[in-house]
Amino acid sequence: MVGSITPEQNATAAEACLAAINDRFGGSGIETSVLNHSNAKKYAFVRIVCPPQHWIAVSKWMKYDLDVNYCSMVTGTHFPDGSPERGWEVAYHFLRQPVRNQTPNTCTVHDVEGLSGMDIPMEFEVLIPLPHGDSPTVPSIQSIWVGADWNEKETWDLVGIKFEGHVNMHRVLNPNDSPEGFHPLQKQHKLRYHDYNEMYDDPQGFMRKPADEGRVK
Amino acid sequence: MCSESEDAFTFEVEFMAEGDNFAAFNSRALVEMVGGVTDEALKATRIKQFLSVLAGRYFNWAGRKSLFTLHLGIKCCAIEMAAAATPRFDGDRFGVLFRSSPRQSDVLLINGPISKKFADKVVRLWEQMPEPKYCIAMGECAISGGPYFQSYNILEGVDTVIPVDVYIPGCPPRPEALIDGFGLLREKIIRIGAAPSAERASDKPVIVGED
Amino acid sequence: MGPQHPMTHGLWTLRVKVDGETVVDTEAELGYIHRGVEKICEARDFTQITPYCDRLCYVSAMTWANSYIYAAEDLLEADVPARAEYIRLISAEIQRLASHLMWLGAFGPDIGNLTLMTWCMRDREMFLDLLQELGGSRMHYNYPRIGGVKRDMPIGFADRVIAKTKLFEKRLDEYEMMLDESTIWLVRLQGVGYSTAESMVDAGVSGPNVRAAGVNYDVRWAHPYSVYDEIDWEPSVEKPTSVKGADCYDRYRVRMEEMRQSCRMVLDALNKIPGGKNTNYANGDEMIYTKAPTRAPEGATGFSNYECTRGASQFYIKGGGEGRGKNPYRVSIRSPMFLTIPYVAKTMIGYKIADIPAIMGSFDPCIGETDR
Repeated sequence: MVGSITPEQNATAAEACLAAINDRFGGSGIETSVLNHSNAKKYAFVRIVCPPQHWIAVSKWMKYDLDVNYCSMVTGTHFPDGSPERGWEVAYHFLRQPVRNQTPNTCTVHDVEGLSGMDIPMEFEVLIPLPHGDSPTVPSIQSIWVGADWNEKETWDLVGIKFEGHVNMHRVLNPNDSPEGFHPLQKQHKLRYHDYNEMYDDPQGFMRKPADEGRVK
Repeated sequence: MCSESEDAFTFEVEFMAEGDNFAAFNSRALVEMVGGVTDEALKATRIKQFLSVLAGRYFNWAGRKSLFTLHLGIKCCAIEMAAAATPRFDGDRFGVLFRSSPRQSDVLLINGPISKKFADKVVRLWEQMPEPKYCIAMGECAISGGPYFQSYNILEGVDTVIPVDVYIPGCPPRPEALIDGFGLLREKIIRIGAAPSAERASDKPVIVGED
Repeated sequence: MGPQHPMTHGLWTLRVKVDGETVVDTEAELGYIHRGVEKICEARDFTQITPYCDRLCYVSAMTWANSYIYAAEDLLEADVPARAEYIRLISAEIQRLASHLMWLGAFGPDIGNLTLMTWCMRDREMFLDLLQELGGSRMHYNYPRIGGVKRDMPIGFADRVIAKTKLFEKRLDEYEMMLDESTIWLVRLQGVGYSTAESMVDAGVSGPNVRAAGVNYDVRWAHPYSVYDEIDWEPSVEKPTSVKGADCYDRYRVRMEEMRQSCRMVLDALNKIPGGKNTNYANGDEMIYTKAPTRAPEGATGFSNYECTRGASQFYIKGGGEGRGKNPYRVSIRSPMFLTIPYVAKTMIGYKIADIPAIMGSFDPCIGETDR
């Protein structure tokens, strides 16, 4: 039987992170909270809402003082109908993993109760709201985590959020000759056959009207 | 013609004028004359017609019994294609062998959605294949875009860029369906012989499962 | 090494700069099967997204569908009955077995061992038959539902699982005997493709690739999500033989050991499943399914962290789409291979061209999830 991280370990780690962040950055526009997931074991994670100008400082502190070593996901979202200060949002997900280089012929022994303090794995979510506009910009954390490199390229490619200071930005999923300024996940770009979406609510066609005759689903 | 100078390591090569021949006497005219006479004779006795029908039937049989397929794995249907080559379904007993180079394959089996980035590469692979060549569209994504028909990056079917001979519906089609698709392709080859692929685009499509 | 290549396990380009036989620089180019799944999912209901997630990593479809379902359950705040969690675990672990067999079956020919392809696919068919009993299809099952699973295990399924798993454990011995005693295999894999744990984690690599470097980190115990803490298993960790980190041999051994652990998990879960392993509840019965809300309020988010066969996969879903809530506003998919492939491209520098398939194959790429 392998032990898992217990809810108590998770809760204490989350509270410790919350205290540390508030200690360091409290009162400068950075809001931190500990929330619980609603799925699986309903564990806690730390959510930080950070304005873009403080992001580099927060990310450096997270990496070097809070031991957050894994940049997992960068998500950009376009809110054309959102509130004025949240026209775009970049959501970063990080994990803190207890990973150290091993001396040859050794491996870490599984001892979950022995994990404490900064060794307990923790999930972090950082949300950076950006105002409306044509060129949302966020400072790049490419030099802090290597894993942020391609994540930022993908976010720019698909959503159009610019990362200031990112070296060698290029298209990674869309074709290299895509038109300049084409970022498909922005809300003004519609899917092909967009006006057939309404018919997805009615797969058996009970609500088709005579005018729909001949229309292909 | 090359001549050796005193220094044994250097060669001097004389470039030939066009039409020149290494042989002591120019046999090109001889070959043309003999070839022309033989050709006329064969045509006159209908032997040429007979031989070409025989050869055509033979090559048709040989070609359809050993369809070399290009080793192209795009997406999920490629796993079913690989499964069709494995002991349980065994495509090899039908002569279906996977080749790495398009220059050496007969069949281009498209098994996945074609994105805009990959479209010109597919056309290039198709053009690199020598005649006679056939294309099989396997799976919904290759037939019509599949579940991604609304996507901004996926073409609505591979038949927008290359002519397709057999369609195998399914998502993914079972390996048995793929082998059946090869069987239907063999029947189609009997029908069409070695008609060039460019003229086949308007043929009625062959769809697996359609009776 | 272009998109059409027998080695690349998928459609991507690796540009290699060589000096003689030694690799000097590499550059990976992805995006040949970018389907825009994230955009398509904004126009689908939450149940309609599950088939898209099956097709993300087609070799291990069940784990990706489960990964999405956990995120959707976080968003919609759905509860899952215990029996459904057990069935999800069993299906995910059988899928992990099938996926690692596919990996081995593709990895063997890379190294030159063509019989491995036929052996592994033969055994994979056993597990695909089991998954077909659950989900209905050999590869894309659309099996988990938000709040449970679609249907219960058929009667006799448990006996078939036990028989096939026990047979497979003996087959694993055969594989190890064939491979670990083969000089060619050892020479081609050992000492090739070193990567340290910390550099991997910094680059975003996770899963068996990191466990091969001696680090015991597995999402199943670190961020527990299903009933893994109730069954008998251990994460499989390999000791690296060098200070330079894990080589291809370690990564191969980690996956063989993971296959054994998956067999162990499946057998143990069948013993402990609530309701018994030979009962079959009807579709929609409360033992296997709890009806979940279908609309997500504006501003709600769901996040799941799941141990897929190739690493940690995450979904981040924002609710409240189109003002109606039935569609998500944004679905963001994090695939472990998306960050692994650029990392592996850099790991190859300094080795020979002939080592490229060994290194690439040992990291187990699957381009379907990379290029969503």
